[in-house]
Amino acid sequence: MRRSRRAFLLFAAALGIVVALTIWQAPTASIAQRSESIAARPDLEGGWVRIDPEGSGSFGGLTSKFPRAVLTPAAAAIPAGRDPDDVDPDAKPHGPGDPYIVSQGRCGGPGGAGGIEPNSAALFMVQTDHEVLLTREGPGGRHIYMDGRAHPDLTRWTPTPLGHSVGRYEGGELVVDTMGLTPGAVTAGGRRTAETRLTERYRVTSDGKKLTITYTWNDPKLYQKPHTYSLEFDRLPPDSYAFEGWCDSSDPLQRQSIVPPAQLQ
Amino acid sequence: MMKSIVGAIMAAVLMLTLTLSDRMAAQEGPEGNRAAPSPRDISGFWELSVDGSNVPAAVLAPGVTSAVLDAQARKDAHAIRWCNILGLQHAMGSSRPIDIRQGARMIVIATEVNAATRYLYLDRRTHINREEFDPTTNGDSIARWEGNVLVVDTVGFDGNKGVTAIPGGGFRTADSHLVERYRLLNDGSLLAVTFTWEDPKVFRTPHTYEFRYQRLPQSYEPRPPLSCDPFDEERTRFLTGLPEAK
Repeated sequence: MRRSRRAFLLFAAALGIVVALTIWQAPTASIAQRSESIAARPDLEGGWVRIDPEGSGSFGGLTSKFPRAVLTPAAAAIPAGRDPDDVDPDAKPHGPGDPYIVSQGRCGGPGGAGGIEPNSAALFMVQTDHEVLLTREGPGGRHIYMDGRAHPDLTRWTPTPLGHSVGRYEGGELVVDTMGLTPGAVTAGGRRTAETRLTERYRVTSDGKKLTITYTWNDPKLYQKPHTYSLEFDRLPPDSYAFEGWCDSSDPLQRQSIVPPAQLQ
Repeated sequence: MMKSIVGAIMAAVLMLTLTLSDRMAAQEGPEGNRAAPSPRDISGFWELSVDGSNVPAAVLAPGVTSAVLDAQARKDAHAIRWCNILGLQHAMGSSRPIDIRQGARMIVIATEVNAATRYLYLDRRTHINREEFDPTTNGDSIARWEGNVLVVDTVGFDGNKGVTAIPGGGFRTADSHLVERYRLLNDGSLLAVTFTWEDPKVFRTPHTYEFRYQRLPQSYEPRPPLSCDPFDEERTRFLTGLPEAK
C-alpha cells in the first residue's frame, strides 16, 4: 500500500513538472514569435516628406493619375465632396493675374494630425511595442495600437477623421487596419463611411531612405473592387527637425487670395 | 488508495498554481497589465491630476511690472480667442492625458489639446543654429539621459505666439531657456517632471516647479482634440465680454 502511494506521488510530481514545463514553453514560444516580429519590423522612426515621383507639378496633379475608384451605383450617387488633395475647391486653372482664395484662415479644426494621408508637411513616426505614433507639424497625433486589440464596436463609436487604427508587422512591413472614419471623399474618386476598411502597408527600401505607403480601401457597399494607390516619401536627413505649423485666424494675410504670377517659359 | 489519488491531484494542482503565479508575476507590473518599465523608458499615456502640481510663485525681475504682465495677458487671450497653437506650457499642463513615445533617436509628446506636437531629439547634442531656426511655441528641444533622469534642454521660443504664461508667474520670451528633468517614480506609475525656466529679463532667479503625471492603463485611447472655431460669434462674445449675472 505504502509503495503504491509513493508511486502515485512520484507520478503526480512528474505530471506537475510536465504540465509546468508545457505552460512555461507556451509563453516562451509567443515571446520568440514576438521577437521575430520585432526583428522584422522596418525602421520607420524619424521624419518623412511626401514626394512627387511622377513630376506632376502638384499633389493634385499626382493623384489625378491614380487609378480611379470603381464605385458601386449606390456609392456613385453619393455627392463626391471635396477631394482631399484638391487645394482649390473650384478645380479650375487660374492664369497669371487671376486671384483666388486658397484658405479661409480657419484655425483649430477638429481631428488633428492633418488627416489620414500626409500632405506636403512632414510626417514623423515613432515605434514602440504598444503603439506607433504618427505626428505632423501641428497638434494631435495618429495612434496605431500594436498590442493586438480589436476595433471597437462601431455602433458605439463616434466616427473621427483619423478613425481607429490597429497595426502589426508582416513581412518586414507595417500593416495598419483602420475603421470608424468620418464619411467623406477619398483620393481618386473614392468614398468612405465609418464601416469602410482602410488597409495601409508601410514599406521602407533596404537602404532605409524611401518609404511607400499603399492605401487600399475596402467596402462592398461602396467599391466594386478594392481601391488602391500608393504615396512615396523620402526620409528627412539626420540633422533635420520638425517645423511648427502656425495658424492665426486673426491675421488677414492668412485669408488673402493668391494671384498667380506669370510663369517663365 | 483514494487518499493517494487525491494527494497526487493536489500536488499537481499546487505545482501548476505556483508555476502560473510565478509566470504571471514576471509578466505583470504594478498595474497588473504591463511589465515593470525600464527606468529609462518614459513611453506611455500620462495624466496630470489635481494634486500633481507643485508650483511656487516665481521671483520676477524688476522690469516685469504689472503693465508688462497685463500686456502679456492680453496677448495670451488673443491667442486663445483666435484658436492659435498654444505652446509648450499648455501642452505639458494639459487637462487631458499626454502621449509620450520614446524612440531610439527622438521622443515625441502628442497632446489632445491645441498645442503642437513636441519633438525631443536624443541624437543631437547642440541646438539648431539660431539664424536658421524659426522660433516656435515649443522651441528646439535636445535630450540626454543622465543616469535614470532624462534632461531636456529647450531654447528657440517665440515670445509672441501662443499662450506665453508660465505656471507660477512670468512668461516665455525669445530669450527663455527651459531645462526639464523627467524621472519615473513608484515603479513607473508616476512621471515626475521638474521645469526650470531661466530668462534674466523675466525671472530674478531660475524658476522651478514640478508636475507629476500618473500613468494611464495601456488600453487608454486618446480622443481627438476639441475643435476651436475662431469665427463662432457666440464663443467670441463669451470670451471677450463680461459674464451677465441674472
